[in-house]
Amino acid sequence: MTRLPAPWGKWIDRTKSLSFWFEGKSYPAHQGDTVASALLANGQSLIGRSFKYHRPRGSYSAAGWDANALVQAGSKPNLSADRLAVQDHLQVKALNYFGCLNRDWGRLVEKASRLLPAGFYYKTFFTPRIAWKFWEPVIRHMAGLGRVDLQAAHAYYDKEYLFADVAVIGAGPAGLAAALEAAKAGAEVMLIDEDQQIGGSLNWARGGDGEPMAKLAGWPRISLLEQASVQALFDDNWLEIVKGNRLYKLRAKSVVVATGCYQMPLVFRHNDLPGVMLGSAVQRLMRLWGVVPGRRAVVAAANEDGYAAALDLMDAGVQVEAIADLRAHRDAGPFAIEAGQRGLRILQGVTPYEAHENNNRLAGVSLAQIMGEGRCGPVFERIDCDLLAVCVGRIPATGLLSHAGAKFAHQAHMDLPTELPAHVFAAGSVNGCLSLDAAQKDGKRAGALAAKSAGFEAETPPAPLRDCEGVTHPWPIFAHPAGMEFVDLDEDVQIKDIVASMQDGYDHIQLLKRYSTSGMGPSQGKLFWPHVKRLMAKEKGVTPAEIGASTIRPPMGGETLGHLAGRGFEPVRLTAMHRRHLELGGVMMPAGAWMRPAYYGQDKNAIEKEVRAVREGVGLIDVSTLGGLDVRGPDAAAFLERLYTWTYAKLAVGRARYVLMCDQTGVVIDDGVAARLHDQHFYVTATTSGVDRVFRLMQWHNAQWRMNVDIAQVTSAYAAVNLAGPKAREVLAKAGTSVDISKEALPYLGVREGMVAGIQARILRIGFVGELGYEIHVPAQYGEALWDALMTAGQDFGIKPFGVEAQRILRLEKGHIIIGQDSDALTHPFEIGMDWAVKMDKPFFMGQAALRAHLEKAPTRKLVGFELENDQGPLPKECHLAIEDGEIAGRVTSVARSPALGRVIGLAFVPPGKAQAGSRFQIRVDGGSMVGARVTPVPFYDPKNQRQEM
Amino acid sequence: MQPRRQSFIAVPTDPCSGSLPALAMADFSLRPRLGFKGAGTADWLAAQGLSLPPEPNQSVKDDQGRLIARLSWGEFLLLGDFAALQSAWSFETAPLCFPLPRLHSHAWIVISGDAAPKMMAKICGVDLRAHKFAQGRIAQTSVARLNAIVIADRIRGRLGFHLLSDISTSQYLWDCLCDAMLEFDGAPVVLEALAKESHGQTDAQG
Repeated sequence: MTRLPAPWGKWIDRTKSLSFWFEGKSYPAHQGDTVASALLANGQSLIGRSFKYHRPRGSYSAAGWDANALVQAGSKPNLSADRLAVQDHLQVKALNYFGCLNRDWGRLVEKASRLLPAGFYYKTFFTPRIAWKFWEPVIRHMAGLGRVDLQAAHAYYDKEYLFADVAVIGAGPAGLAAALEAAKAGAEVMLIDEDQQIGGSLNWARGGDGEPMAKLAGWPRISLLEQASVQALFDDNWLEIVKGNRLYKLRAKSVVVATGCYQMPLVFRHNDLPGVMLGSAVQRLMRLWGVVPGRRAVVAAANEDGYAAALDLMDAGVQVEAIADLRAHRDAGPFAIEAGQRGLRILQGVTPYEAHENNNRLAGVSLAQIMGEGRCGPVFERIDCDLLAVCVGRIPATGLLSHAGAKFAHQAHMDLPTELPAHVFAAGSVNGCLSLDAAQKDGKRAGALAAKSAGFEAETPPAPLRDCEGVTHPWPIFAHPAGMEFVDLDEDVQIKDIVASMQDGYDHIQLLKRYSTSGMGPSQGKLFWPHVKRLMAKEKGVTPAEIGASTIRPPMGGETLGHLAGRGFEPVRLTAMHRRHLELGGVMMPAGAWMRPAYYGQDKNAIEKEVRAVREGVGLIDVSTLGGLDVRGPDAAAFLERLYTWTYAKLAVGRARYVLMCDQTGVVIDDGVAARLHDQHFYVTATTSGVDRVFRLMQWHNAQWRMNVDIAQVTSAYAAVNLAGPKAREVLAKAGTSVDISKEALPYLGVREGMVAGIQARILRIGFVGELGYEIHVPAQYGEALWDALMTAGQDFGIKPFGVEAQRILRLEKGHIIIGQDSDALTHPFEIGMDWAVKMDKPFFMGQAALRAHLEKAPTRKLVGFELENDQGPLPKECHLAIEDGEIAGRVTSVARSPALGRVIGLAFVPPGKAQAGSRFQIRVDGGSMVGARVTPVPFYDPKNQRQEM
Repeated sequence: MQPRRQSFIAVPTDPCSGSLPALAMADFSLRPRLGFKGAGTADWLAAQGLSLPPEPNQSVKDDQGRLIARLSWGEFLLLGDFAALQSAWSFETAPLCFPLPRLHSHAWIVISGDAAPKMMAKICGVDLRAHKFAQGRIAQTSVARLNAIVIADRIRGRLGFHLLSDISTSQYLWDCLCDAMLEFDGAPVVLEALAKESHGQTDAQG
């Protein structure tokens, strides 16, 4: 492992040694190394293979801006070796190779590249049509990235909210200046940076300030979030940030985007070989990790950055063979002057035209004179080298500004922001202020504006002039007759692919993107889109500005499904008796967010036994999930009159009545019972799933009508049971109650408040299951005590708990409907036999006008009871279709085998002409066979309702 | 036999009962509380001698250490023993003022520790840091995707919150809090550990 001496390598701790595994071989590293820096320090420049042609690839940006250095670390696929911190014993694998990394037989694909132009898979493998079934798995196998380990243990991911007045994204020179300025104005600042340490280019650029952290000392209002990447900037300054296994959500009053620039790649033949790197990558590797990525270097330059990189290489002891300056004449910048003074060989108007490969890495560069835009003269020299540093321009990192809806203009061959949304500010090189001085001044300006935007007083310094002219070469793209000049390294897109896509008619930026796949790779074209635009512009004969911009969408990169999924919050509602259900062997089922016992025990006849217990003895069911609403006030009765279809004004205190609610279109949306506890107080029940909607509607209408009434949602405040069966009265009496529960004192539909087993209770003599029954509602924290008291009292009477499944059968035997199951989003009361619950002669109720219209039209369907003509045949299921003359005539809404009746019964919608008792219809069951059904009057069981009124 | 009230939260049988952990949480759900709501509520409560917070989303403590939280112009949450109010109330004596069964509708969890705001930031989108959410402030918001009432208070001399949320989801919420507080060395404690300086009320049947 070779390293430059300090002060090179400022991010590594040379006193702490680690080792990790790459492709089965152990490599030493230092604390602070990335996988890429450690591999390069050990002379391993080949890190992976390319997506399509399996070409050798190594670190290109040393910053994770591209997909070249993607690796698999343990079970985690597609991590950038540029950013992946070395941990002791970390297992790292390269991607996209067959055989071994050094000798990848998948590279044979490159030999066939002429047969694989852009969009080849759209047109090559579809004839005959069946061919795709063969080719798809082959192509997927060839083109796969990392491997998803389906056996990997679940990792712990979670989320956290952050809070700040001003968020500053990027802690380079501009971001630091912005953060300090905003903090000076009194704002709380969150400074977010993706690097190991703050400072951005101050850490690695020649002439950078070495102690960026010191600038923040004494500023407690600035909070720092390092090694955190902002994935998205959504509306209203909502930032999604990923750090480690945590996803942060930050909503700031204002945001400064100081994300800097990427360096621009140079496009020429074999520009993808390991050893061809961005100049900034070379500087990062040397200054941050003390790694020299080569011994003999050529620098391709089109601005001062190239000369700075060359000088850095010289200082590090690298033999710089030449600077190939793409410009005909260079500016007299300080680094260019120094380079000249130090005797560097500088070639003006020259470009690398072809890179040469040996043993999977760069071995030399052929240089050619530039004759015009993209045109070169003959190669005049080949220089043997193992490093080519590319510094031909900048690409503002505008992704987050794009998320926020910023507008851009093409200036100095870059896309720079011109219009920003309110409360969003750009600062530094992303805003075209490239020099250190200009970036810092621009940061101060943006910080002050952001603080003002967040409500603080701040003096705004004048904006510095953008100093980006002459930095970015207008055409750093040089085609070669033999091709292999990569415009997009992620997807192996060559110049000819862009041209061919245009010629195939995909000449709009959005279409070309998808057809050529350029910009569709893991880096989303960060480094490559400007070149695509240039090529498109040339083909169309327009300027790059006229091409427009491709939409940059979140995430910026590095967001995993784990970040999105964990930690999930899925509330679960439990009733007061939940523990008792589990103790009794309750098989729990979800009912909305609630958990309810479907039935108890593992007996295959458990449900039937529960049904029989209720019919023949006594059963107990937890009905706490039923909605509960206290409607109170002088206008309570009048309020219910308007909301429900029946009438309540004259309902006596101590009595209960069915409630049916329709929406404004007359569709049935809920039902329950209204129990009048006081002249001003109704306790109204609603369906488990419908109560929230009913409560919202009640509140909305109360606000509209301004009646003297108050509505309280008390669903959770009361635990409730239904004690049902012929022996229910005896059990209740034994449990002890202060209420006279005799038939005469508390008849069917009677309501009383009193004590049950020492607990204050609301007792409703109602029954969904058609037996003598008491619905007993008690304060929730006494639910378990009530359950225990009734189960104990019921022991001598053979009491059995029963669940939702038994209740469904019991109510079906009585022909009681379940709203939402036996009704749908179009059902009005007259279709389901609820005429008796609708008082059309009331002055008003919700849905009344629509119901009048329904009455004037001929009905189209009726809900009827039915029984099967042959009980031994296949059993219909809910939603199976009723068929008439081969056409759909209706559907089954409920069906079950009735233990009490010994036959299959159900409810179904049928045409009105088939609704008379005795009518026959066919039901199409699973497999398409037909079973015969006969319309039967409901209730099926106890048609005179004598049992519930015992 | 007197029926027993039961919290919906299954607290570990041996919650940390020694010195208070850096972040502590206790189930106060069996402690008395109630609510009143309606257009006439403020007048009636004032007539009963209560000093009320002047505006919604504020709370005050009375001389018995009981907490009076104003949730809206016409809705109040009373944490502590207000049994006398319950006895005094009737439809006739308290026009347009209606009691709410908060003892049974809402679980009551108390959190204490200076890391409480940071922990809450993992499950709640409201900025609950002390300099933004002063003692006595109330947030009616979403906590771990549940509707919740969060009241800032000093608990055992440390930053803390009263957290009230639907009782049927209280075990779920408790589990979320246990998970969220792990990284802050947080742990559940027995009720008495946090009740010492809290409200001097005694348990009462709801």
